[in-house]
Amino acid sequence: MTTKRIAPEDLIALASEMLRDEIVPVLPAGQRYAAAMIANALEIARRGITGDTESAAWALLDQIYDEGEGTLDQLARDIRSGEIDTDTNPDLAARLKAIVQAELRVTNPRFLASRGVR
Amino acid sequence: MSDAVKGRARTLDQAKLPALAAWLCPTIAAEHVAITDASLLGGGAVQENWRLDVEVTGGPRAGRHHWVLRTDAAARLSMSLGRPEEFRCIAAAFRAGVKVAEPVALGEDAGIIGRPFMIQTLATGSAQGRRIVRDPQIGEMGPRLARELGAELARLHKIRPPVTDLGFLDEPRRSASHVAVMALREAMDAGSGLRPALEFIFQWLIDEAPEPRPTALVHGDFRTGNYMVDGGRLTAILDWEFCHWGDPREDLGWFSARCWRFGVDDKTAGGIASKADLLAGYNSVAAEPIAEAEIAYWEVLALARWGAIAALQGDRFLKDGERSLELALTGLMPAEMELDALLAIEVIAKGRKT
Repeated sequence: MTTKRIAPEDLIALASEMLRDEIVPVLPAGQRYAAAMIANALEIARRGITGDTESAAWALLDQIYDEGEGTLDQLARDIRSGEIDTDTNPDLAARLKAIVQAELRVTNPRFLASRGVR
Repeated sequence: MSDAVKGRARTLDQAKLPALAAWLCPTIAAEHVAITDASLLGGGAVQENWRLDVEVTGGPRAGRHHWVLRTDAAARLSMSLGRPEEFRCIAAAFRAGVKVAEPVALGEDAGIIGRPFMIQTLATGSAQGRRIVRDPQIGEMGPRLARELGAELARLHKIRPPVTDLGFLDEPRRSASHVAVMALREAMDAGSGLRPALEFIFQWLIDEAPEPRPTALVHGDFRTGNYMVDGGRLTAILDWEFCHWGDPREDLGWFSARCWRFGVDDKTAGGIASKADLLAGYNSVAAEPIAEAEIAYWEVLALARWGAIAALQGDRFLKDGERSLELALTGLMPAEMELDALLAIEVIAKGRKT
């Protein structure tokens, strides 16, 4: 497995650079917003491939449910019913924040940085 | 005739203008109505805004006018009003002296131009939030604009139930915050999946609900981006489709929430000024003054609401198969509001301890 290959995330990175450097500058103003959305989507997809979106969720789910059995939907329902709260799980808010941060590292790291968290 | 009308297959093609003029004539009690130009102002798949140049002969509106025709949205959020109801809310606000574009006519019959619509006078200026908060003129005039907005909001909140024309609006049976959270939970239940952080925030909102204030007519989407500014001055408050009976602090919280500051975070009132400015204007008109500390809770509610709405926009792609990159990207935004809400909750909790 030492052969160097072109990875999917490399292709996305190159495509978004090309979009930025060669396409956006010659676009009419009316299409700039669409181009910005495409660039944003490509970057999210790239970070989604390389980033870790699951550890933070499992860290909380495995604390509450049998290992590997929990789902975010179930957790959401248990929070709504009051089954899970800061009495049963004192670090609930902090763990939920960690899940949200992990999501934002993929979807909007600049937003995360603007809030002074990583 | 402008290119906009010629060039695109939109709702209001040239062929429909005579029918529209013929319908308008008795509606506004005129002798004759001529539409001399119609051009598309913006809006997209959801809804179109057309500028109409109109010549009215006879009746109370005789003269030349620039009006805006807004078509009904094809797909509306379940929480929003239909166009006729929105029109009646605008009319109630107009009667109360709130700065809105004057409502002119409501076309409920889809037969006239192909979709229901409403016509209002044209307000001048720009409503683009991102542009407004970065406008150097706002840097200087922002505090005055925020006071103006606060005063307008207080005028709106003086409208109290019951109002004969607004019988279609439900009066909250429980506190407005409780009703709001229940509606958000219900909306999320109909979506593609629940989000633990959002549910945690909903639960916090239920547990921490403040004493309700007297029910008032609430705009429901009062924020930078939904009012027009011309030369640094307010010309009109727009987008009344979320108008409802609620707690007046809902509008102040929505306006101030971090998600509606367009990146200018230190200006806590909509990215244009401080909350103190907004409230100074508000309290100069309001029947019951509101303190700045009261707004924090309603900012969390605002973040929860926008988070839920963003998730539901994503569901239009995820669940309903609408092929839209914009909707998909919006569907990835709830985490932003969740983080801001969780941070705001931390700040509120810390404030209590000290």
